[in-house]
Amino acid sequence: MMEDTATRAQASWFQATARQRIDGLLDPGSFTEFLGPAERVQSPHLALFDLPAAFDDGVVIGRGTLDGKGVLLAAQEGQFMGGTFGEVSGAKIVGLLRAARDAAGGGNGKDDLPRAVLLLLDSGGVRLQEANAGELAVAEVMRAVVEARSNGVAVVALVGGKSGAFGGAGLTAATCSRIVVSEEGRIGVSGPEVIETNKGVEEFDAANKALVWSVVGGKNRRLIGGADAFAADTMSGFREAAIAVLGKVPPFDLKTLKAEQARLAGRHSKLGGCDDAVGMWKVLGIKNPPAVRDMDEDAFTGIADRLKEANHDAR
Amino acid sequence: MDTNQHGVPATAWRKEKDARGERLEAGGKFARGKMVKPGDATALLEAIIRPGDRLCMEGDNQKQADFLAGALAQADPKTVHDLHIVQSGIVLPEHLDLFEKGIATKLDYSYSGTQGGAVARALNSGKVQLGAIHTYIELFARYFVDLTPHVALTVARAADREGNLYMGPNTEDSPAVVEATAFKQGIVVAQVNEVVDKLPRVDVPGDRIDFVVQSPKPFYVEPLFTRDPAQVTETMILTAMMAIKGIYAEYGVKRLNHGIGFNTAAIELLLPTYADKLGLKGSICTHWALNPHPTLIPAIESGWVEQIHSFGSEVGMDEYMRARPDIYFNGRDGSMGSNRMYCQVAGLYATDLFIGSTLQIDLQGNSSTITQDRIAGFGGAPNMGCDAHGRRHPSDPWLKAGREASDGHPALVRGRKLVVQIIETFSEKMVPTFVEKLDSLNLAEKLKLELAPVMIYGDDVTHIVSEDGIANLLLCRTAEEREQAIRGIAGFTEVGRGRDRKMVERLRERKVIRRPEDLGINPLDVHRSMLAAQSVKDLMRWSGNLYDPPAKFRNW
Repeated sequence: MMEDTATRAQASWFQATARQRIDGLLDPGSFTEFLGPAERVQSPHLALFDLPAAFDDGVVIGRGTLDGKGVLLAAQEGQFMGGTFGEVSGAKIVGLLRAARDAAGGGNGKDDLPRAVLLLLDSGGVRLQEANAGELAVAEVMRAVVEARSNGVAVVALVGGKSGAFGGAGLTAATCSRIVVSEEGRIGVSGPEVIETNKGVEEFDAANKALVWSVVGGKNRRLIGGADAFAADTMSGFREAAIAVLGKVPPFDLKTLKAEQARLAGRHSKLGGCDDAVGMWKVLGIKNPPAVRDMDEDAFTGIADRLKEANHDAR
Repeated sequence: MDTNQHGVPATAWRKEKDARGERLEAGGKFARGKMVKPGDATALLEAIIRPGDRLCMEGDNQKQADFLAGALAQADPKTVHDLHIVQSGIVLPEHLDLFEKGIATKLDYSYSGTQGGAVARALNSGKVQLGAIHTYIELFARYFVDLTPHVALTVARAADREGNLYMGPNTEDSPAVVEATAFKQGIVVAQVNEVVDKLPRVDVPGDRIDFVVQSPKPFYVEPLFTRDPAQVTETMILTAMMAIKGIYAEYGVKRLNHGIGFNTAAIELLLPTYADKLGLKGSICTHWALNPHPTLIPAIESGWVEQIHSFGSEVGMDEYMRARPDIYFNGRDGSMGSNRMYCQVAGLYATDLFIGSTLQIDLQGNSSTITQDRIAGFGGAPNMGCDAHGRRHPSDPWLKAGREASDGHPALVRGRKLVVQIIETFSEKMVPTFVEKLDSLNLAEKLKLELAPVMIYGDDVTHIVSEDGIANLLLCRTAEEREQAIRGIAGFTEVGRGRDRKMVERLRERKVIRRPEDLGINPLDVHRSMLAAQSVKDLMRWSGNLYDPPAKFRNW
């Protein structure tokens, strides 16, 4: 029972590696990697901790086509060091984004580069072993995202890996033009364990996965406007969602930023008093909010796409 | 004074009964009828328990009388001490607190799971005098012979005012524990989640229950039998394919029990896909003695399974089982009823195959889940994983296995139960599964145990499956052949590299050893997409959302 094209398209994004995701997302055979594993651009720091390095430092960057149109792409490998931002892994993403910025701005003579960047985020945030370099990398990535966007590049975050998008990855997602999330995807800044450690298990029980996902998981993020599209947890699910989202990216201008500010302020005043996700879904006017949890994708998309908070021109 | 013709006074025949009367009277001070407030639980236990009593706090690898265990741990050791704990599970920290405080000193039990390390430390420190580590039915048997509890603390979902108890799908050990205690003039206290006027059904009659305490929190149940398909690896799938094709199909195994590991979960998830393609539906895996494994849902929904009797229940499976009364054993109220004693006996006498994983196997095929400094206990696996010498009914797989094991005397062939160990040559962190000497022997020496804990003895094992091949030990004629058959599938472990190449090749010619390719299986064809479900969410979808996965397994 060999793996065929149909089963590959239906394979789980959540369970896949970064390279499997790229294969499943882009047009077949279209991907060209920059700074591939053969060049062994790897972390100079991990050896100090007796930790194994990876030849790609857990980030794959390159270009390819999606539905025939060119895209640049960076994919974090969540199963290597939790997909964390280190000096090298961060610099690979920054370099990709700056190249896109410069090409779009017509400044570097490489204007054949695509005007779209996909960030396949799967990361718990900064790599603790590379603390300062990792923190700087996150700051540089966010700045690079904004600079690329202001030069007219669409930057889209795809979130559905095992490590979610926490810490610097959560912040990075928030700077993107659009965010696509699956039910298994999680987006946040402080991770569940961090909240539990600092505020106590009564505040947030990190071992209660149902609770964790109800708050930071893809369904809630989509319903409260924290993500703009909901993808099935498959290669084809993310491919279709990414194609759709790239077709309607908002311009990066004052109007969009003001709309984003208004959206966030409105959300805070409307949902700030809620204790849990079901409470928020109730305020949003969803009928039978507890049923959202086990709902299948079609039924969920039907609800999310009709909800005012989940559909906006901001970001 | 009344005496019999030998001069024995009549009161001499009723000392236990009189003692029971005194205990009931002492405990009655804290009760209205049978009902005791949770805040009085410790005082009640201090009143009804006597120093040196044999005591059972019900709990096994599933449900736990956790509130009463906590109440007992609060008792004054000056009043309650030197108890002899006789119970299935030492699985809560409170159970060990009793020994730490001197409330209990002696222990006979069968399973300790996550407390295995603490049990080993307590034994080492001398705080616990160990009687023996039993299998479940072995301990139940002793409840009726020489380890009858004076006091039992049982646990139910609901009680009525008369003390009738409803356990629902988690009936488990309760009928055996309560009957042994109540009929021998002991005292039975029940912790219940709620008190109701009318129970859905009665699992334990109220005249066996002396006191009822409504627990502030529902009793704890460990979802021990939920295996997330996302964690099934391709190596596990490979060994599962080999077991299906090389053993289930060859012997036509219809009646069976599975262990709780990921390897056997892989088999369950391959029935509607791989096994279906082999045309095996209806000819294998139809009748089960098995807990309600969520990973069996796809096979049930695809019509593979005729019936399942269970030792206990599984968290989240209630509504699914209620909706499948042809498959499970459901009471008149519609909810499933389990019974560990019955199901263990079923697994012992009425199944033709047991398959499970283990942590270590030695050169004779003895296996143990005991590693350095951890005593996890036995639970029920040794009763599933042994040949029942009292069995007298024939079946095709049993007779075929018996014929393979015997050389002559065709007129008097005795059948054999298929006892299969399914493992990987190396377990986590590259620790070899095949060893020259089991860690349990070292631990037994260190703790001065009379009997080294062995989960399944080598002479009961019929097959070992690893990613390297299947060793059919039934076909081995000498101890040397047996050792080489085991070395022959031990891969790159020390044990495997110590094989006699020529002898292993001869064993392969005789089909004592069969490699994946001998079974027509190409390891490169193995892929996770072969599993009927890839995740716990998939299992929920297979069940039509009737299965309600526990919070710790939900990544949605």
